[in-house]
Amino acid sequence: MDGSIEIETLTLEREGTRIFDGLSLRIGERRVGVVGRNGSGKSTLLRAVAGLIAPQAGRLRVAGVDVARDRAGALSAVGILFQNPDHQIIFPTVIEELAFGLEQQGHPRGVARERARAMLARFGHADWEERLCHTLSQGQRQLVCLMAVLAMEPRWILFDEPFNSLDIPAALRIEARIAALAQNVMLITHDPARVAGYDRVIWIEAGRVAADGPPDAVLPAYVAAMQAAAQDEPC
Amino acid sequence: MLSLALPGTSWAHRLPVGLKFGALAAAMLGLTWLTAPLPLAAALAATAGLYLSLGRRAVAEGARALRPVLWIVAFIAAWQVWEGVPMLGLVLGLRICTMVALANFVTLVTPLPDLIALIERLARPLARFGLSPRLPALAIALVLRFIPVLRGRMELLALSWRARSRRRPGPRLIAPLALSLLDDSDHLADALRARGGLAPRPATPPQGRD
Repeated sequence: MDGSIEIETLTLEREGTRIFDGLSLRIGERRVGVVGRNGSGKSTLLRAVAGLIAPQAGRLRVAGVDVARDRAGALSAVGILFQNPDHQIIFPTVIEELAFGLEQQGHPRGVARERARAMLARFGHADWEERLCHTLSQGQRQLVCLMAVLAMEPRWILFDEPFNSLDIPAALRIEARIAALAQNVMLITHDPARVAGYDRVIWIEAGRVAADGPPDAVLPAYVAAMQAAAQDEPC
Repeated sequence: MLSLALPGTSWAHRLPVGLKFGALAAAMLGLTWLTAPLPLAAALAATAGLYLSLGRRAVAEGARALRPVLWIVAFIAAWQVWEGVPMLGLVLGLRICTMVALANFVTLVTPLPDLIALIERLARPLARFGLSPRLPALAIALVLRFIPVLRGRMELLALSWRARSRRRPGPRLIAPLALSLLDDSDHLADALRARGGLAPRPATPPQGRD
């Protein structure tokens, strides 16, 4: 089965504002960056691909799954890391947070716990099992979210601005972790340097694809446009 | 996020969740029967003993969780003294503190998934009416889970207020608190939906690819 993200003539409105009007994209590369300014629609796109918001019209499938309707199927197709880990973490302790998604996938509790433990061990954090999520640092909480998503073994992992509000070592660490993932990755950022080594970069502007292709072709134009915007718009 | 939980593997954690909540319900009923201050004081002391048996951290967490209740109790007690029935105030105060402390204790030593499993078990008859037992289970667990978040949110708003004002915030923070809670609930809904939400769980888990 083809594991691509297929978006066909997608129309999406949020609170009366049309964000996408007939957007079509087919994404199958291993590392895909989505760049654009705040309010361009890139976060909405990511949420739609994760199946968190349903489009008004058009088709959106990930690995053949209609992610907005088939939530059970979507769990194995796509996982998402929100920009703020605090918006993602539901449970008080680390092990509960990791096991929840596995239970949601239909694993019995014992198996879910076992797999959650294995995931912690894989990242060298077996000692976090009974730690309270809110006592961890921002970077550590983000890692909890990543482990929780990885444990569910989705085909795609989506990252929404994963480098924001992290200090430099933490940002470099998550960058290296993302690079090492076996899964396909779609990552949103406004920082072109973060996706310079990716297979494909999609530049979204006002709900439309402004440019799409290898980083060398897209990023220079994107940077130039951002610099021009900084000069044109007085604060 | 903050939460009312005390991770660990103490004797209290190891008790079956059904027993813990059954005993809590019985204790609550018993406390409503006690009307003399002395037995109530003994009950409060016994509750304090429960916390002490788990060590210093449990005592600190319990005290922290009880603090907001103390204000209400102080208010009620003051009212009763004003009304000329100080003994009634003492009885009410002792009873409320013991009840809340006991409930907090059970919450602290019960992992949230255990609680969810318990409610799911109790709500199983609902399946006959086409309602998923997971619905009330997650709902109740999330309410419990978010009480401390509410407090944390209030503290943040108060800080933000104080940073720009010399006066205390008072009830004027209630509207922004309600709005920020709506925002929080949106985020929570997203977080739940991202992991399958309340959709019926698949009977067979997916086969691993690696």
